[in-house]
Amino acid sequence: MSDTAQATAKAPVRSGASGLDRVPPRVLSAAVGIAVLALWELLARTVYAGSYRLSPPTLVVVDFFEYRDLYLRNLWHSTKTAAWGFLWGNLAAIALAGVASIIPVLRRSIGAVALTIFCLPFIAVAPILRLITGPGNGTPITLSALAVFFTTYVAALLGFDTAPGSALDVVRSFGRGRLAAFRRVRLRASVPAMIAGLQIAAPAAFLGAVVGEFTGARSGLGILTVRALGALHTERIWVIALMSTIVATGGYMVIGALGRWLCPWAPALDVGAVPAARQEPGLLNRLAALLAPIIVVFVFWYAFLWVFQIKPFFAKTPLDVWAELFTNADAAETRSSVFGALGTTMWTTSLGYVAGLIGAVVTAVVFVLIPWLERALMPIAVALRSIPIIVTTPVIILFVGRGLLTTTAIVAVMSFFPTLVNCYAAMNRTPEGILDVLRSYDAGSAAHVRNAYLPTAVPALLASARIAVPTSLLGATVAEWLATGDGIGAVMVIAFTRNDYNVLWVSVAVLTLVAVIGYWLVAALELRTLERMAPGTSR
Amino acid sequence: MARRGAPVDVVGVGRTFALGGGEVEALRGLDMHVPAGGFTALIGPSGCGKSTALRLVAGLDAPDEGTIDMDGASPDQMRRGQRIGVAFQDPSLLPWRTVSTNIRLALELVGRRHDTKAVSDLIELVGLQGFEKARPAQLSGGMRQRVAIARSLVTEPDLLLLDEPFGALDALTRQQLNDELQRIWTARGTTTILVTHSIPEAVYVADEVLVMSPRPGRVVAHHGIDFERPRTRELLLTDRFHAEVEAVSASLHRSEGQVVQLDTDPS
Ligand SMILES: Nc1ncnc2c1ncn2[C@@H]1O[C@H](COP(=O)(O)OP(=O)(O)O)[C@@H](O)[C@H]1O
Ligand SMILES: [Mg+2]
Repeated sequence: MSDTAQATAKAPVRSGASGLDRVPPRVLSAAVGIAVLALWELLARTVYAGSYRLSPPTLVVVDFFEYRDLYLRNLWHSTKTAAWGFLWGNLAAIALAGVASIIPVLRRSIGAVALTIFCLPFIAVAPILRLITGPGNGTPITLSALAVFFTTYVAALLGFDTAPGSALDVVRSFGRGRLAAFRRVRLRASVPAMIAGLQIAAPAAFLGAVVGEFTGARSGLGILTVRALGALHTERIWVIALMSTIVATGGYMVIGALGRWLCPWAPALDVGAVPAARQEPGLLNRLAALLAPIIVVFVFWYAFLWVFQIKPFFAKTPLDVWAELFTNADAAETRSSVFGALGTTMWTTSLGYVAGLIGAVVTAVVFVLIPWLERALMPIAVALRSIPIIVTTPVIILFVGRGLLTTTAIVAVMSFFPTLVNCYAAMNRTPEGILDVLRSYDAGSAAHVRNAYLPTAVPALLASARIAVPTSLLGATVAEWLATGDGIGAVMVIAFTRNDYNVLWVSVAVLTLVAVIGYWLVAALELRTLERMAPGTSR
Repeated sequence: MARRGAPVDVVGVGRTFALGGGEVEALRGLDMHVPAGGFTALIGPSGCGKSTALRLVAGLDAPDEGTIDMDGASPDQMRRGQRIGVAFQDPSLLPWRTVSTNIRLALELVGRRHDTKAVSDLIELVGLQGFEKARPAQLSGGMRQRVAIARSLVTEPDLLLLDEPFGALDALTRQQLNDELQRIWTARGTTTILVTHSIPEAVYVADEVLVMSPRPGRVVAHHGIDFERPRTRELLLTDRFHAEVEAVSASLHRSEGQVVQLDTDPS
């Protein structure tokens, strides 16, 4: 027939392949990395010349070599601290996950304690812990252990639950109980999930250690940072941020490699993207689900004070917190200062989170539509995601300045990378069949994004958002504590310096409660959405 | 019965995929002709390139050799002209949309989102009245396939491409959907290519059954099926139906035998 009939014209699926699609990803990433460094150097030497806001990379390197001994000594100290916290926190988390797996009735209560720990504003918990552990290394180690606890607990429990039912049935058919099933089947089956959990625990442990050192320590990168921040020693702050990044990311990568070596068959698992657990139906179940964790948390609170025999001046019970908020003479004053500051914190945090979220979704969409850009930049984003951004807070404080915008910027940076990685991964899993249907009608990019990529990413977005509630609040309070003088972080640091333990405990309690409630609200939204979208139906 | 749609001419089509370090030659020298308004079934051993052939005709992929022509248009032009409807083994519905909005998706994509009559007509045609507001998760496998077929038809395409749309269903549901597919085709008269691995299904619904060789796939036998329409289930019990099924089955066996010879051939 006519010559338009030539079907050899490239079909859309194989067209649009630009020359950049053939460049190896490593080369692209390296090129981008070098370009960023060059731009950084240029900016620091021109726009920011003579300013403390940004130092050029070359000077950062020079500074590192000049004070090499100081840096390496403190790095070693913090790494050691993090390693101890990593060890104890993970051991405790895995042991408790084991208990929760063997004795299911305890599951909800242990989960509530784990979540509460995850929601604690660590920066303000440090001074309270220091009452118990003394001025030494105990507080950073404890915080480091607390920082890894929740994610490892979730990962381990997920691992125990993935044990194949048939294998469990075999154990049961031999008349053996839950303990035997746990030892012989569940423990083995959990290895891939456990390693995924330990992988994100490595940077988290480092974060806990450094945050513990922020509020006072004899040595370590945290205290070194605080001093450098006071002296506006910009190069030092950059050196510390870069060293922290390298060590934390290194731990993440080493454990990841270990996992690929130990269980090469297991698919990569992202603990940050585990869907929320389903709730049993029924009013009584719901009530139990609500009350049991609250009671357990209060019991823990009292037990903590009792075990460590903290003096009443420092130790505040739930009743003391209640009195301070509602019945004491100055209750109204406390309420207005704490809740006013909390309002500021929640506002700046939400703003930062939403900014990071929008940025991440837009970037993920761009990556899905322009593959070579994704191949150039995604490896960098994946590496940056494992950085405990909170540790690099001082860098952002220097660059942005001390103000409300600092908190917003830190939370935005914190939420950007995990959301981007999870969101892109989800979009990438859009079923080929759906894409084929869209292509068969020659649907454009906008129609692809609206009908396929965005809706597919919603569950992943909600899963990241759930985890982001406590971590964003932590980032915000660290920024406020260290720099901005606004929000509840500032209220806490003032209370701390005035030895006003009433206000300190009230703030910690209120912040934790807000984080827990936020977490549950997002979890509820996530469950409703998953129900609606019913995963697996499109497969 | 208004015959409509485009004739399809596939001439000497070859397609080779790069896979790992090596290559997979999926199709070599594929020829086929489907007349306007015709109903052709494509049958062949698993992995012989049936889906590849269908994707080429749909303009979702391009051949390395040969030409595909539809009344003067290339598959890509047909696709860009939004004149093709597709349904695959996986119904590929959007899980967050309802039955009617899933069907409407196709209309939205071709810029006719307000054509509610077309949607309700098709819901009726595939027998899903009362389920308009249901989501895919609430439907059975057979119902999901009906939605996918309704979606592929709602834009009144000139060419309907079905890739094992009933492959995952039980025999009873399958027969029911075959009846409906025949009814729909009779009502609409759209050029249709159906890929299937069920010989009775192919013989029951199609005008012509093409048998493909193992990979690299090409057409090795043509069977014209001239049972009068509408065909009913009584036909399934007749001797002439069985004779046809046997004939296609023999071609398929012969074609499968060929490859054994090819594979052992040292050249
Ligand atoms: N996109 C692809 N990349 C690599 N190989 C492919 C691709 N699509 C199909 N193939 C290969 O081409 C052959 C034919 O596949 P297919 O058309 O799906 O067969 P059928 O549908 O007949 O079962 C198979 O060997 C398959 O592995
Ligand atoms: Mg196939």
